[in-house]
Amino acid sequence: MSLDVEESIKQDIDLRLKDIAKCEIQRERRLKLYTGKDRVIPVLGFLKSYGFIHLAAISCVDWLDDGEFEIVYNLWSYRDKAGILVKTRISRENPEIDTAIPIYEIAETYEREIHEMFGVNFPGNPNLTSLFLEDWNGPPPMRKDFDTRKYAAEKYGMRDLTEQLKIGMDKIKGVRDGDEIL
Amino acid sequence: MGLFKFSRSRSLWMMHFCTGCGAIEMPPTMTSRYDMERFGIIPMATPRQSDLLLVTGYLTVKTLKRVVRSYEQMAEPKYVIAFGSCTMRGGMYWDSYNTVKELDLYIPVDIYINGCMPRPEAIIDAFIKLRDMIDKGEANAWKNYRDNLDWYKQNQAKVFDINKWSAKI
Ligand code: SF4
Repeated sequence: MSLDVEESIKQDIDLRLKDIAKCEIQRERRLKLYTGKDRVIPVLGFLKSYGFIHLAAISCVDWLDDGEFEIVYNLWSYRDKAGILVKTRISRENPEIDTAIPIYEIAETYEREIHEMFGVNFPGNPNLTSLFLEDWNGPPPMRKDFDTRKYAAEKYGMRDLTEQLKIGMDKIKGVRDGDEIL
Repeated sequence: MGLFKFSRSRSLWMMHFCTGCGAIEMPPTMTSRYDMERFGIIPMATPRQSDLLLVTGYLTVKTLKRVVRSYEQMAEPKYVIAFGSCTMRGGMYWDSYNTVKELDLYIPVDIYINGCMPRPEAIIDAFIKLRDMIDKGEANAWKNYRDNLDWYKQNQAKVFDINKWSAKI
């Protein structure tokens, strides 16, 4: 009996990456792989040579209570029509992980975004400049302990329009009572 | 009404700065359904050729810089119409860390159009109001910018580094 795609991939991965990664089947044609921070680059290298040639995204999850960031590499194989998530955790105090550019060149932009939004450093990435947030002076905004409401109130501070609102309401009342609008 | 005011109010060239969701209401306003060209308003490609700047929705800080830059390039007299609740009070982005809330802190606005998103009828209404204001000599927000440049520059400096972008104080 032939194996399902995901099972044969898992078998191959278990065989080759037994000591450095733990692989799980999530559902049909979807796999998950956990590995250590220092092993990410060799794992990605192996997966690319295995057929996962497309890096669709890199994302970051802030596990505030654990004091860790989780970096998730989202890979796709056109040959097997299967996707795999490579997950690794790094400490929140000193968030740093090697760049994936040598394996996937496209990682540059994704890492730039994570650097900007979470403050994670990627040694080896030559272009960690700002992407969306030009002239940003606050803490990285996607961190869970960033208070977006407070920051917005401080930075953009809206004017108090109570007086104007009252005048407007009086006008509306006037219209209702049959007066002319001033 | 002088000849200048008459001609200005009837041949507005418009640059629509397509930010936010509002730009999607511009194609019907421009094309045959609502046909704004009957009021002498046509879309124009560059700020230096335009009289009217439409800001069609929420502005991130990054976009605001470009808007200020475009506005400063326009030749006077120039007019600004701002669309939707986002440009007035932040709209549904009132607590966002990266969108400005009140556009008239940064550039002078002649007319705000209410709504999220304003319909083409409302836009046409604003155009007619603007025409009447120009006729009466009331559309003077651009003078306001010139007279209160320091105040505007101060507000701009609160959200971005103005020295990199536009004229220094
Ligand atoms: S006012 Fe509404 S339609 Fe306009 S930009 Fe804001 S959210 Fe979008």
